[in-house]
Amino acid sequence: MRNAFIGAILGLAAMLCFSSVASAQTAQSQPKQANEARSPWKYYPMDRAVGDGGPAPKRDLTGTWAGPGSGAAVPRGINAQDPTAPPLTPLGKQLYDQNKPIGKYSPAGTNDPHNRYCDPFGFPQNMTNEIRGITITTLPNRTFILIQYMDVWREIWTDGRALPATVGGSGKDALDPRYNGYSVGHWEDDYTFVVDTTGLDDTTWTTKNGYPHSIDAHVQERFKRVDKNDLTLTITMDDPKLYTQQFFLGEEHFRWIPNQQLDDFTCIPSQVQEYLKEMGDPAGFDPNARSQRR
Amino acid sequence: MKTKLVILASIAGLLAISCPTFAHHGAAAYDMSKPVVLKDAVITQFAWINPHPLIKADYKDDKGNVQHWIMEMGSTPASQLIGWSRTSLKPGDVVTLYVWQAKTGLPVGRFNKVVFADGKVMRDTQTGADNGGRADTGVGR
Repeated sequence: MRNAFIGAILGLAAMLCFSSVASAQTAQSQPKQANEARSPWKYYPMDRAVGDGGPAPKRDLTGTWAGPGSGAAVPRGINAQDPTAPPLTPLGKQLYDQNKPIGKYSPAGTNDPHNRYCDPFGFPQNMTNEIRGITITTLPNRTFILIQYMDVWREIWTDGRALPATVGGSGKDALDPRYNGYSVGHWEDDYTFVVDTTGLDDTTWTTKNGYPHSIDAHVQERFKRVDKNDLTLTITMDDPKLYTQQFFLGEEHFRWIPNQQLDDFTCIPSQVQEYLKEMGDPAGFDPNARSQRR
Repeated sequence: MKTKLVILASIAGLLAISCPTFAHHGAAAYDMSKPVVLKDAVITQFAWINPHPLIKADYKDDKGNVQHWIMEMGSTPASQLIGWSRTSLKPGDVVTLYVWQAKTGLPVGRFNKVVFADGKVMRDTQTGADNGGRADTGVGR
């Protein structure tokens, strides 16, 4: 009874959240845009797929999708923006304590290599942080995920090969860690595409809040095509060197973009240097600030 | 039971208000208690850049000294959703700027709003309300 009551209240909050978004869109944007000429080259965040679009096509994720940061009012997922981590191992805690995320330390105090230098997020952070739009496309033996933010592309082999057993060794044929790791994918059923990845560059952070990962972390993504217009992604990570339990990195929702366009949006080193020099660093940071959701 | 209901409803209300938040960083570096008002400031540059556009302006204080101010605003995609573009401000524009100044005391801060000569007002996405709250009411989020 008590849980049902709490659930009802939180459900109400979610409804308020999304209804306020919807009303704002209706009031401020749709009428204005309805009378404007449309360019086939421009992304219009207020142009949105209506309803579910019908049944999901089988074994097909191909297309361009709006994520939670796209401006298209895609419902925020579960845990994805600021995931709660499981308990860390001693090594994991040691690494975590070295990281100073921007949410707590501000641009001036963070040592996040992306926010200071535009270094790549790396996977899996690039599937949760600044996740605006994505395009998914396929070849007979591979699936590609093209990520709008930072113009990143990920390669997922679907030819039945196994993941590399060892990455980061010292032999002649040793594989180097990669920002996006090594990925294989398969269809679990007609609507669920499962991607397994390992061999991650361990200088990158798992999340924007500074949680680390090792080279040997094993990340699993489950893409579920719910219907024509809806795609859901859940991400988990097993990294026993750094975490005592599986890390649930979150669930995210994506919506079909009617004109299939995305805009340019990336981190540009010269602009970040200008921003930090003139604005971010002079503004300083408050060492007593609590970590903030962003 | 009634107390629990009030507490839970309050939590739900907070969630409903805060859920659209999505941005580069928070505002811990700024004094959000009261905006500094720069009347008749002259825009020197509007840099439409990532991660945040920068408004640069010269402001003459009561003693006639010119202060060079720089302030950041919401990201370009978020700002576009409430009407901003790279040409919204032009060098030479004379405007009144409201800014949440950095706690360091330097002439930098988080943009709040701008009042143009004709009375038109444009606000920041995240801190553009008069109390420092969001001004975009979650448009697009």
